[in-house]
Amino acid sequence: MGIKGLTKLLADNAPKAMKEQKFESYFGRRIAVDASMSIYQFLIVVGRTGMETLTNEAGEVTSHLQGMFNRTIRLLEAGIKPVYVFDGKPPDLKKQELAKRYSKREDATKELTEAVEEGDKDAIEKFSKRTVKVTKQHNEECKRLLRLMGVPVVEAPCEAEAECAALCINDMVYAVASEDMDSLTFGAPRFLRHLMDPSSKKIPVMEFEVAKVLEELELTMDQFIDLCILSGCDYCDSIKGIGGQTALKLIRQHGSIESILENINKDRYQIPEDWPYQEARRLFKEPNVTLDIPELKWNAPDEEGLVQFLVKENGFNQDRVTKAIEKIKFAKNKSSQGRLESFFKPVVSTSVPLKRKDTSEKPTKAVANKKTKGAGGKKK
Amino acid sequence: MLELRLVQGSLLKKVLEAIRELVTDANFDCSGTGFSLQAMDSSHVALVALLLRSEGFEHYRCDRNLSMGMNLNNMAKMLRCAGNDDIITIKADDGSDTVTFMFESPNQDKIADFEMKLMDIDSEHLGIPDSEYQAIVRMPSSEFSRICKDLSSIGDTVIISVTKEGVKFSTAGDIGTANIVCRQNKTVDKPEDATIIEMQEPVSLTFALRYMNSFTKASPLSEQVTISLSSELPVVVEYKIAEMGYIRFYLAPKIEEDEEMKS
Repeated sequence: MGIKGLTKLLADNAPKAMKEQKFESYFGRRIAVDASMSIYQFLIVVGRTGMETLTNEAGEVTSHLQGMFNRTIRLLEAGIKPVYVFDGKPPDLKKQELAKRYSKREDATKELTEAVEEGDKDAIEKFSKRTVKVTKQHNEECKRLLRLMGVPVVEAPCEAEAECAALCINDMVYAVASEDMDSLTFGAPRFLRHLMDPSSKKIPVMEFEVAKVLEELELTMDQFIDLCILSGCDYCDSIKGIGGQTALKLIRQHGSIESILENINKDRYQIPEDWPYQEARRLFKEPNVTLDIPELKWNAPDEEGLVQFLVKENGFNQDRVTKAIEKIKFAKNKSSQGRLESFFKPVVSTSVPLKRKDTSEKPTKAVANKKTKGAGGKKK
Repeated sequence: MLELRLVQGSLLKKVLEAIRELVTDANFDCSGTGFSLQAMDSSHVALVALLLRSEGFEHYRCDRNLSMGMNLNNMAKMLRCAGNDDIITIKADDGSDTVTFMFESPNQDKIADFEMKLMDIDSEHLGIPDSEYQAIVRMPSSEFSRICKDLSSIGDTVIISVTKEGVKFSTAGDIGTANIVCRQNKTVDKPEDATIIEMQEPVSLTFALRYMNSFTKASPLSEQVTISLSSELPVVVEYKIAEMGYIRFYLAPKIEEDEEMKS
């Protein structure tokens, strides 16, 4: 899923590009959420013990609805305006990856049956999680729920992450929330991880800025995309023996995959046959997205609709749903907090730092060099 | 080279206590004019601006404009080690990555050096224009602090309205509502007990009490607080620091729903 090892690579090589932020500080912001990813997480986590999951009377799983309902309320209560983006058709290149996931699921299903026969509880827990699949029905039910809650839903023509990134690039949302690092590869200017984590985990939101990522890695966007392809993405294989760190070194040295292919030792590194890296690159650079979407609006919740759908059709507790609807209505009535930037504009400070500490802590940088930094000029 | 000697060391301790709840890391800027700081809280709703003018220091040497990134909690930890009557000297050498706080007891029989590591902080400076405010309220800082504390036990926002009658602080919460009106009062024995209201136009704004309460941590610095209000502008809550400068807090108001939420 996503780009292999990118988080660690960035933590090591571009620490300034990632910032921990409080969940609460996103009040008033429009945020595009990769819905499919969230639904998948809800199916795995919410209300699961072993093979048992939350179900309605008909025995259909309701974990995704429970998760979607509660987390969305949490966002609304914090004054955040979520926009959920659903996957469309996967690109052809991803089919291989999807087939792989499918066969993994098949294996897990088999192993789960064995585990059940043997009564191995840990194994049941492990394999039943791996058999989770987000179906069309799950998606449709979540869309229905969100619309009833008055939250906008966007259907991407293709990949949800790409659509989220496009919304963010075009200033229709402030940031993209996903757990999938390829949001950055799609160029989402501001990308948030852990926004949808349960509050009980107390994990701060991690904010990535793509401009800072490029600045810190000293790469162009095109080179960054190449770096992600080399590290391992969903669209094609990567070269065996080259991980993130090596890929970064090679890209810095040669500038592009083409030039790397010309220069590396082909005996040492096996280049996959029919390697569609150019096609993968195109998918990242010019993904199939649309900006022709209905205006993003956050409406009042449809109370009757929610009760009908959640309580009558899916066996949710009536009191809880009523209370939750109250919460949504209350969150809407709260006047929103302004930010100072809307009143005061940033200016450049004239002071020179006494000492700029090199946060990347590269041992190669000579200490003596730093002393001269900033010593001259800039006096006003 | 930087060397600032402050006879009233306790003042620096109070300054730190006043701002460290709002911001954790900040750059202190040092120039010929004075020792200053501007920093925002993490959600960019509140801003603190501190100025200690060079004239207020017994000795002030700053060869060029400098900024020093400090973790305020760590700085407060060190300053807590200074006695209330101690003289505090802030020292830093060019190119060094530390700052030294020197504490001297009044009778010079004890000298302590605390050296603190500096940090590299990316911070945005905001340009704050001088504005004419529609209403300016001056009142005892202890009174303002009490009002904020009392109201926050009822609700989480305060509406501050200034009219001819006086200044009204009101809130509403689950358990009920509260309204506190302070009238202009100049006939007091001590000037610091006065409440003075200068109003060009009536104004009413809503603010989060959480921030107001954190501003009132500056009360020990000044007997009086000045609250400047204009619709369309952040409120300024200012505590003057005698003969040296000020600490000003800016807070963005709460705004009514934007159109997209109304529809």
